[in-house]
Amino acid sequence: MADLEFNEDETLARASQGDRDAFGLLYEKYIDRIFNYVYYRTGNLHDAEDLTARVFQRAMNHIENYRDRGVPFSAWLYRIAHNLVANWHRDRSRKQEIPLDEIPSQPTRGDHPERSLVRVQEQDALLTLIRQLPPERQTLLILKFVENLSNAEIGQVMNRSEGAVKSLYHRTLLALRDQLGDQHINLDGE
Amino acid sequence: MKRRTIHNFDGEFNTLEARLAGTLKRVSPPSDLMRRLHERIRLPARKEIVLRVQDWNRLFLIFGGVMSGMVALITVARALFHLARRPA
Repeated sequence: MADLEFNEDETLARASQGDRDAFGLLYEKYIDRIFNYVYYRTGNLHDAEDLTARVFQRAMNHIENYRDRGVPFSAWLYRIAHNLVANWHRDRSRKQEIPLDEIPSQPTRGDHPERSLVRVQEQDALLTLIRQLPPERQTLLILKFVENLSNAEIGQVMNRSEGAVKSLYHRTLLALRDQLGDQHINLDGE
Repeated sequence: MKRRTIHNFDGEFNTLEARLAGTLKRVSPPSDLMRRLHERIRLPARKEIVLRVQDWNRLFLIFGGVMSGMVALITVARALFHLARRPA
């Protein structure tokens, strides 16, 4: 119900004039999405917290520069997050793979324990493979599956056409399938 | 033969998509983490600090306050020093 009362354009206009409460409303609305994006791109809670805070601090400092050119505010935030995560990866490029293990994969309720364990192992293997993909492919998968965005919305965030996103998605699935095959990981679940 | 290959290809993709959907799930940030982020975001922006510094009246008051405080401190220190040096 609260969402019906939330007028994003009006809130954005107020926030761009320095209204901290208006920015607070935007923050409340998008914090979860940005946190999830950053978490899956970094793989740990500590850096996800730090980078999420920096995304919103940067957004707050530059919100007067935000102009609605057909790009939604969420896309603008994702681009800030993308740039900060890219810088973060650059700074840590000397380090090896960061395990995505702080929030362990959850077994499905009601599953047989053995099957559940296999499923968790499969998910961990898949996460590891996803983290080895190029950044733009990781971004695409996160936006598609975690955020449930359409190809058109993903295109707005990634500054690509809907067709280009569709094509990239197809190539990403092919690459994942091949890598799973190379590692003899069977996702049939049986 | 070709039709069967395409069919398998679609089946593989559907399975892979289902697995991706099961793996890339939305994570709920811990509540204390949300509180900490709130606190960090509520810090005054750099621009605001610059604006405060540009507020000459406030700057003058702060400068005057610091100087007065320092004079008072020096006076007390001198008084104590003087008392300590007085012959008994």
